[in-house]
Amino acid sequence: MSRLCKIAGLILIFMTSIAHSQTTEQPNLGDEVLSSDEIIFEDNLFDNVFDEQPSNSKDSWLENFTFTVSQQFYGQVNNHSVEPQPGFSFPREADMENNRLGINIRYQNGFAPGWLIQASGQSRTYWKHDYEFEANNKKIDDEYRINEFFLQRSFDQHSIKFGRQTVVWGEAVGNSVLDVINHYEYRDFSIIDIEDARLNQWMVVWDYFGGDSNWSSFINLYPEFNPAPVRGSPFFLAPEFNLTDYKRGGDVLAEVGTQWRKSFDLSDISFMAAYLYENQLRYDAPVSGIGNAVVKKNDFLLLGFSANRAIGRLLLNFDLAFSQNVLADSFNFPGTSALSSPLDLKKDQIGTSFGFEWMVDNDQSLSLSIQAQKMLDEDEGLLPGQQLVNEGVFGSWLVRYSNVLLNSDLTLSSTLQGDLNGDSLLALLGVHYTINDNWALGTEIISVNAASASPLVFFDEDVRVGLTITYSY
Amino acid sequence: MIATSLRLLIGSMLFMVCFNSAFAQDLTGYDIMKLVDDAQRRTNDSSFSRMQLSSCKFGVTNGRITCADRPRVKSLESVAKNYGRELKDTRVVTITLEPAAERGIGMLSYTYDETGRDNETWLYLSALGRVKRLASGDSDEETEPASLFGSEFTTEDTETGKLEEYTFNILKETITSGREVWKLEMIPNKDRAKKTRYSRQVHYIDKERYVVLRSEMYDQYDKEVKRLMASRVELVNGIWMSRSLTMMNLVTNRLSNMAFVEIYTDLDIEDEFLSQRTLNDAAYRETELEKLRAQLN
Repeated sequence: MSRLCKIAGLILIFMTSIAHSQTTEQPNLGDEVLSSDEIIFEDNLFDNVFDEQPSNSKDSWLENFTFTVSQQFYGQVNNHSVEPQPGFSFPREADMENNRLGINIRYQNGFAPGWLIQASGQSRTYWKHDYEFEANNKKIDDEYRINEFFLQRSFDQHSIKFGRQTVVWGEAVGNSVLDVINHYEYRDFSIIDIEDARLNQWMVVWDYFGGDSNWSSFINLYPEFNPAPVRGSPFFLAPEFNLTDYKRGGDVLAEVGTQWRKSFDLSDISFMAAYLYENQLRYDAPVSGIGNAVVKKNDFLLLGFSANRAIGRLLLNFDLAFSQNVLADSFNFPGTSALSSPLDLKKDQIGTSFGFEWMVDNDQSLSLSIQAQKMLDEDEGLLPGQQLVNEGVFGSWLVRYSNVLLNSDLTLSSTLQGDLNGDSLLALLGVHYTINDNWALGTEIISVNAASASPLVFFDEDVRVGLTITYSY
Repeated sequence: MIATSLRLLIGSMLFMVCFNSAFAQDLTGYDIMKLVDDAQRRTNDSSFSRMQLSSCKFGVTNGRITCADRPRVKSLESVAKNYGRELKDTRVVTITLEPAAERGIGMLSYTYDETGRDNETWLYLSALGRVKRLASGDSDEETEPASLFGSEFTTEDTETGKLEEYTFNILKETITSGREVWKLEMIPNKDRAKKTRYSRQVHYIDKERYVVLRSEMYDQYDKEVKRLMASRVELVNGIWMSRSLTMMNLVTNRLSNMAFVEIYTDLDIEDEFLSQRTLNDAAYRETELEKLRAQLN
């Protein structure tokens, strides 16, 4: 772990020197001096702004690009042992998990009236001590991915987007029962917010913008599923069989949905309906017990309603979802695979997420959301002695707090996340410092506490420290 | 559009009449601020502007204000239009162009003049993947005014109206920045005092052009906490305005400069542009912005 500390120290020294190098001679800042009328305020202090050519014409094709380069270090720093079951424990050594360089590129170009193309992609290079490096026979590994890639045509009251994109439903912040259109990947603890974990899909989205109400409909001819945990990652629990992707064969899969949204004074409401596939695949053990798991997909019908209401600095959120024919025994905690229990039942489910966002003042905000779901007719189809994995009301809660300081240069943030049964608690404390228009530094501390009933029990008492340095231009 | 142009023309003519010095001699402090306020509101109406917000730690070197570090710069594009009775409500769409890390962040604000009616704000972040309503509250609440994009400017520093909540005293006539000015004191009444950060403000107003050239803001201990310096006063579409405003925070020793790199008023702006669609639909937004840019040439 001292390795992580050394690297972090070097980075901090480097960044401090960048910040210092931009500081010119320290001028006199005395109160008396500033209140004197003798002080000359140079009218032309910022006149160079006016000397620059107006950016009316996009001369450079590079202006449509945004580049972000980041280097991330993450590690588990607490030496301890985990006892998922009485009498069975294993050690958890402090170790570096992430040492990776990321490059994100975003491109947006309105190349003709009513037309726009937008794309974003990322590359990751996994250095020594990264878990991907270790899983790749201790060799530097690379990974590339297209995130967004869509063509948009807008005319009259209509907009049609074709390509890889995101559709987000629901009002609750980061915890909505309706935010199930796109699939997601929680690969490790450096990504715990759904906004960062959400993956784009190939879709056609048609929006109709009326006066105060909008229709938004989508069709997805290539539904994708949550990827299985990457070998070597913290979430990879090494089952006795292989967790593989869904093999489509000749299957033609499609998802379709529509949402109607209307805005009122200080409030918005939405109704939605969709035919979807569950993002999480269900893995059954192979008959032989080894080899590839038997992968099962499941389609279901979703009906939903969402609303918000602003009251001064308070925003109330509410989502309601009715899901028909969902698998009854999928786990419902982010990052875990749906390893099947002996049940193979489909049931209807009712779910809600609700909460609030409170602007404490201009710099501080606090949000709370609770997600609660319940299977209807729980006992129907069960044999004597059987019970559902998710019995009764199950779900999670999420609290986020942020405080912006130093003219938005410094952001302190905190996230608390847990399940409704009180079996797990994930706490994050983050500090993000913007050094200048290009450089930024982020540090995070994440701790996990989990009881044996929680899928996070393998990470009980883990403490992770992360450092990310970012350059954007 | 024709009606708007007519209003602006008549307004400008009336405004020019006010330049008559004999008339100016009879003006009260309230009258002067009303003229300044009306002009400021007109610069918002059906306008398109490109702004650059530069912020830095400042100090004094050889008797001159200088930045102690490299200024942080935000580049913004903004479209505004006035609505409602007497055009006192304002809708504004602002898109961040720079820095790169914030590029594409869009904000839509509806500001209502009516007392007790909450303002509305929506935000678009690509990470959110949708337009999101913000709990912004009423600017009349007893809360600290909001900072504008992390700068030293606050909503209170830029808002118009509510002059009835102040008393005005013309302290003297003097010279500032080579111009004849009124030195005018603005003191909030009992109700307003609960909502403002300043116990009083002193403005230096150009007697010919009705533009604030300098302002001093004082706290409850009558200590000057902020100072505004205006420069590059130019005639924009018949209205005198300062295209470079610098707000110095004398407590934190930070300053922010708001430079109107480009500003155009009296444009033909579709009502639909000041709606959530502009945040959500980038193709539509870019097309409409191109139409606005075409009007500029």
